[in-house]
Amino acid sequence: MQIRVKCKCGEGKCREWAVVELQGVVEAQPAFQDRLQNLEIGVLCRPSSQQVYTFKVGYHELTGSKVALKKPILVLHKTKHTHTDVGTHTNSSNVELQVIGIIRHRILFKTRPKPLISKPQLAVKEKASATGAVASNQTA
Amino acid sequence: MEQTQSGNGGAEAVLNLEPSSSISIAYHSLFGPHDDLILLELDEKLLPDILQQRITLRGQPDEDAVLCTGSKTYGIKFVGNSNSVFLIPPSDQTEFCENSLDCKRKDDDQQGVASVIKVAPGNMELVEVAPRLDKLKLLLSENPYTFQEDLEMEDLEVVEKGNTGLYKWDDLVEKVQASDEELRSELQALSAVEIGGYWRIVDVKYMDTILRMLLHNSVINDWSLDALNEDEVVSMLESDGYPHKLAHHCLHVYGNKVDENLSRQVWKLDERRVCVHFAREILKEGKKKMESFMKEWMQKIPEGMQASFDMLEGEVLTERLGVETWIRAFSVSSLPSSPAERFSILFRERPKWEWKDLQPYIRDLSVPGLSSEGLLLKYTRRSQPTQDAEPVFSAR
Repeated sequence: MQIRVKCKCGEGKCREWAVVELQGVVEAQPAFQDRLQNLEIGVLCRPSSQQVYTFKVGYHELTGSKVALKKPILVLHKTKHTHTDVGTHTNSSNVELQVIGIIRHRILFKTRPKPLISKPQLAVKEKASATGAVASNQTA
Repeated sequence: MEQTQSGNGGAEAVLNLEPSSSISIAYHSLFGPHDDLILLELDEKLLPDILQQRITLRGQPDEDAVLCTGSKTYGIKFVGNSNSVFLIPPSDQTEFCENSLDCKRKDDDQQGVASVIKVAPGNMELVEVAPRLDKLKLLLSENPYTFQEDLEMEDLEVVEKGNTGLYKWDDLVEKVQASDEELRSELQALSAVEIGGYWRIVDVKYMDTILRMLLHNSVINDWSLDALNEDEVVSMLESDGYPHKLAHHCLHVYGNKVDENLSRQVWKLDERRVCVHFAREILKEGKKKMESFMKEWMQKIPEGMQASFDMLEGEVLTERLGVETWIRAFSVSSLPSSPAERFSILFRERPKWEWKDLQPYIRDLSVPGLSSEGLLLKYTRRSQPTQDAEPVFSAR
């Protein structure tokens, strides 16, 4: 079997995807765990002209930076077409791989979260506090 | 707080976040495991191959897939990441923007929102590997081209349907885990030839007949084996009843093109290849005493060629039984190309090897990232009875 990796990016550049990476996991409150869609995770802020970023998740704040990846990462999309041959009743599936993006940077938060003493004002509105997202540190 | 200018913010809003601004990161309306999204880390130098769609994945369902460029083969391994890796596509990534209402809602939002489509559990990495070419030999050996077939099928270009054990280039690419270039050079190493669209190995006996006819013709016509005119040689063999394709193939297998003139192609027979061929023929039936082998070999070698025992490195093994030295065929080309299997067969053949004997049987092994010293360390035990004695290698 041979799968040709397709790429419609052409001669130009592939569309760049963004990655926000942090240690551990973000947990939504139990009420939201099975319907995360559209839920806010947190607010990413770039306080100065440096490549330093903060990420407020619930009552926690992470500090990190934007780093270039040593090697690029391609985002591939796999599609499977299944054909049924009426004559022989055999199924053959055709897998297609297409490059849909490239990742060259990540915004990496590798420190433990810092608790925010006062209730965060601007960023976390009602919606966010309903999330009550907590960054728990598993791997620090 | 400053508002981002990119409207509904996707990856671009995160990557180009202006100083003193912020963006909300939320789960996408289509957030999910999305197993159909695969991350593949690769060298910058492979990107042009990707953009020009020269990359393929090859392998049968029961094999670990490999990734091939035009010239190299890579193994693929999954590397997990215990961090949370939030993947944010560009805002207009069509795959995830089918819900126009949803995209619009974000547009209307006062603050830019970037949406996370998936938390990636890790990514794929590439490791350069040796191509898996042993299968090619197996496939082509299923149905070698024989003299018999020539009699049955006058016209070589006629392709019969339902031929078993016959493979076209496209079939080989589907079945063999190697890049196009590696596959092509292995076909050449196996002396395969494309006949009627199928890649074939020609039966040794048949090749022997054609070679001997060629040598016979050279004697009759007083041709020099160092300067054979392709047209003359091929048309003469054709008139002897051999197909054009095979006559031509014979020159390829046993000779080298020396002069590429506009009008005439000139070939020189390769002394080593011709001599090795006759040695193999003699040893086909089993082991022989050294003296009788050498005598027979010298008789078979065409006039003007010099056979020397060095030519048989990696082709024969000799052993002393009492006062006699015996010789038998043991060809490196018949051995598997994976180092583990190769060494296991070698040590089954002989528990102990001296370096000069072992070297011809392992010099062709190539494992990216492992030197030949590394191979020896990994698969053999080296012992040296005294300081100036030859080292001896045995199984680990």
